[in-house]
Amino acid sequence: MVEAARRDPARFDALYRRYLAQVYSYAYYELGDHHAAEDATERVFLGALANLHRFEERAKPADGDGASTFRVWLFQIARNIVSNERRTARRRPTEPIDETTVVADPLNVEESVVRREEAGAAMRAVGRLAGDRRRALILRFVDEMSTAEIAGVLGKSEGAVRVLIHRALRNVARDLGA
Amino acid sequence: MTVLGRDAGEIDALVTDRYLDSLLAGRPRLASAEPLDEAVRLVSRRLAGELPRFHPSFRFEERLALRLAEAAAAMRLPLAAGGERGASAVPIPLRPPAPDPLGTPFDDQLGERPEGRTVLVGGAVAASLSLAGAAWLAWRRRGSPMARAARAAHQQRTRAGLRLT
Repeated sequence: MVEAARRDPARFDALYRRYLAQVYSYAYYELGDHHAAEDATERVFLGALANLHRFEERAKPADGDGASTFRVWLFQIARNIVSNERRTARRRPTEPIDETTVVADPLNVEESVVRREEAGAAMRAVGRLAGDRRRALILRFVDEMSTAEIAGVLGKSEGAVRVLIHRALRNVARDLGA
Repeated sequence: MTVLGRDAGEIDALVTDRYLDSLLAGRPRLASAEPLDEAVRLVSRRLAGELPRFHPSFRFEERLALRLAEAAAAMRLPLAAGGERGASAVPIPLRPPAPDPLGTPFDDQLGERPEGRTVLVGGAVAASLSLAGAAWLAWRRRGSPMARAARAAHQQRTRAGLRLT
């Protein structure tokens, strides 16, 4: 898919459709605002398309058929753009996202309310974490990246990312009273 | 430090990482031989189940898809006009392929032009072709002010030429 897009930029659409929700989710967790997340997502994909010729595939044949480091490269762009956006907007996420953003189940209102409150509390607890701890948890739980991928995105060793995530989880557990 | 060269914090982190791999793959280990912090296990299960994923609006998705398609098309143009893969020559006929049913005396002169020319299509060349095409059309349409002006200029040039010869 990546090679096809490098040969013919019109084929970038397949990559865009595949990773749109992941990039958008990451931006939304980080920025806490749908419009800001859309702006950031747009810049990520336009930037990726314009710089696709610079992408270097680092996956090896041993990593499996179709393995690619494109997602790591794309999220490196996303991390830079979103971080700049956070700095510019000076949004420190003490209350980044509220539970009303969690979709309610119209058939079970009571359970939906409880679920929304719990999800909102979990999201706020993650949002209160500092920099890389927060990013690592979002990438691990929302985008379901492996430790190796997160290490690539954050520019750290896998061991450092494991420790980062473990400590972040203990922080969130304390915050939520678990 | 342990005999494996890792400290206790690193080992805890490694155990947590393995647990997260199985949890996110949908196969959480019920009983693990590895001592996982109970608070970490609980909060991991909670985050895995409760943190929602978001999708942008359909309108945004399609609008951005369109912008990307336009950007991709713009990236392909330089390639066609002499980028990495060499120039692409597109023959553009300068005369209409069929005779004009509303032919004018000027058609005879047009007949002296070459039948077609190979032109590299880029922004500037295409723009100049458009201008030439607009002037040519105006020339042929007798009613427009531009056509009258063009014919007057042509007649003046013709008379001057006759005087010189």
